[in-house]
Amino acid sequence: MRAAACGLALALACDAALGQAPRPAAPAGTPVLSTTAERVYAAARPRLLQIRTLLQTAGRQSSIGSGFLVSADGLAVTNYHVVSQYVLEPGTYRLEYAAPDGARGALKVLAIDVANDLAAVRLEGTRLAHFDFDGAALKGALPKGERLYAMGNPLDLGFTIVEGTYNGLVERSYNERVHLSGALNPGMSGGPTVTAEGRVAGVNVAKRLGGELVSFLVPARFAAALVARAAAAADFSPEGARAEIERQLSAWQDRFYREILDRGFRDSVFGPYRAPESAAPWFTCWARTNADEIPRPRATLNTTQCTTDTGIFVAGDLQTGGVGIAHSYARSAGLNAFQFAAFVSAQYRVPQGARGNRKRFTREFCHENFYAGAGAAVAPPLRAVWCARAYRDFANLYDVSLVALTQDRDDEALISRLSLQTISYSNALELTRRFLGALRWAK
Amino acid sequence: MGEVIWVEVLSRHRDVLERRRCEGPQVRIGRSYANDVVIDDPFVAAAHLRVFRDESGSLVAQDLGSANGLFAGHGGTRAERLVLDGEQPIRIGRTYLRIRAAGHAVPAERALPVRVYGGRMVVALAASIVAIETASQWLGDTREFQATRFVLPLLALVLLALAWTGMWSILSRVFTGQARFDRHLLVALAGLAALSVLTDLAGFGAFAFSLPALAIYEYAVIWICVAAACYFHLREMGRSRLPVKALAVGALAVVSIAAQTLVRSEGGASSGRQEYLRDLKPPFLRLVPAQREAAFFGRVEDLKAKLDEARAAAVPADAGSSGQEAEE
Repeated sequence: MRAAACGLALALACDAALGQAPRPAAPAGTPVLSTTAERVYAAARPRLLQIRTLLQTAGRQSSIGSGFLVSADGLAVTNYHVVSQYVLEPGTYRLEYAAPDGARGALKVLAIDVANDLAAVRLEGTRLAHFDFDGAALKGALPKGERLYAMGNPLDLGFTIVEGTYNGLVERSYNERVHLSGALNPGMSGGPTVTAEGRVAGVNVAKRLGGELVSFLVPARFAAALVARAAAAADFSPEGARAEIERQLSAWQDRFYREILDRGFRDSVFGPYRAPESAAPWFTCWARTNADEIPRPRATLNTTQCTTDTGIFVAGDLQTGGVGIAHSYARSAGLNAFQFAAFVSAQYRVPQGARGNRKRFTREFCHENFYAGAGAAVAPPLRAVWCARAYRDFANLYDVSLVALTQDRDDEALISRLSLQTISYSNALELTRRFLGALRWAK
Repeated sequence: MGEVIWVEVLSRHRDVLERRRCEGPQVRIGRSYANDVVIDDPFVAAAHLRVFRDESGSLVAQDLGSANGLFAGHGGTRAERLVLDGEQPIRIGRTYLRIRAAGHAVPAERALPVRVYGGRMVVALAASIVAIETASQWLGDTREFQATRFVLPLLALVLLALAWTGMWSILSRVFTGQARFDRHLLVALAGLAALSVLTDLAGFGAFAFSLPALAIYEYAVIWICVAAACYFHLREMGRSRLPVKALAVGALAVVSIAAQTLVRSEGGASSGRQEYLRDLKPPFLRLVPAQREAAFFGRVEDLKAKLDEARAAAVPADAGSSGQEAEE
């Protein structure tokens, strides 16, 4: 999904795809485009960086990304995920830059913005050539279809420039992302995407696997804000990095879940039941059914599933921040009460959330019981399991999952699941309480 | 000539393997064919033992100078002469003997028991196991009907029961001389029936009373059933030292349950998942009231302390990796 700094499997997959991908149509006799790209790259070349994370003991690169200079005194911007190994394990890794002219040197991390996947770094130097941010991009006023140029060092093959098209912000995404129709590849993460005038419109961050030329940028304004903060900030200490990440995740989840709570739930009707779906606009919903299966299923199962795509990269093995709501309505078509109970039992599973990951999470703790909502006259009794695991590195952040099954009929049931990643305990309590409270009879 | 003396060769479990009627007043016992009772035991002397009545009229066994000697009962100390009471066995070499005079008193005739088990019992048990297993398979079957899903588990169960019974019969035959297949089959079927009833009950109880532990620790019930069956198999093989046998199978059950608990808890620790009740039953089987919102979320709030404790316990391992050598 993400243009990880250097995932070999991912890199290979992209490499192969690159060989087959049709080149953007560049009709003969229009040398203007190519001249623009040439001019943009020539101007950008001294301002580009490759950012390498080296294994301290081996002195060899463990992952690579890109970056770009934004001030004459050596301030540069890249992705947080490019420097995350170093930030989380400063004793194991160190950072280095390599410029297109072959210059190398150490890098210092000045500030990070985990939610927007950005980092500000500094290298030694004065009176360096650097990029400026594009005024229209900062205001979010670029027109759709604007030609952009993404730069970076893909797959450690050398610095490249790639043309792409600005396609506005990604819809239904809580964390703002620019949709760039262009080929970003692993290793270009953190590189700049600039306008024809050579001004930064966004920071390369990710691409969609399974799509063609569907790539994402962090909007320029977040990078500009981070640069302003980094210039003013005291030195960032790697020892305090986890506390800083914790502070940012905490603040992020407070805003995010507060908005979800404030926007509330809207009801969806499933047979005789009403179930809550978030009214927030960041959910992508899909439906599926088993009705068309052969042999004919002996109970029908219709599921709607809504998820947010807000993946926050914290570490290579920890991407978080997602919310999932799923409702499955089951109705017996010839199963007796016991068989139907067995059928719905198969759906009654606690959502996995982030995979079991002992390095990042504590073990899971659950509470389960039959549940009678406050308004027993308007809601069916439920069987519910509420599970949580804590983030080992970050205080008061948890992944919470909830599954509930209606307990009022022998031949109809609603199975509702909710999963909340990176959430404080109080937000989780409030959300799950409201979720269970909103499971009601339809009339 | 004289009185009749009975020499009985016993198994280690004191079952009579062979009973020999001898004419008194004296009986010679040993490995050679010159004896009245010939014992095919390489640890017995050619002429090992002489049994006769002494001056006071009691039966006496006398060692005729064997290398391995004469012992009273099990273990016992070596003796040159032993006065025989007709109850306590004596040992020569590796052979146990019991010697009784014709006048030895036997217990009164026991009333014939009403036959409670036997063929009919076996059939009834087998039928109920098949019924229970088929029913629980049927009640859990949510797919298109396929006969194999019903027949194969039953066949497997039949084979298991036969193999288990066969094993115990062979052990029986080896150690007591009698296979007693019918009795062992009865025990095996009773154990199997108990197993299927109890595990089903555990499943229903776990749901009805909202006690997930009943379903999660179902394996304890299974081990207890297996241990109980083993006990009754051992009892069929001989009724001596029953407390020791009970203790042994009890220990087997405890060790098995402990081992399986350990495996599960360590598996849980590495996967990080918590068990919960996954096998739900129809709603009308619920026997406990549902938790109110306040009570449910009260318990949920209590989880926070556990989670934070688990996090605190995890910190020291990680603390070393950050810090130091920040500058490079």
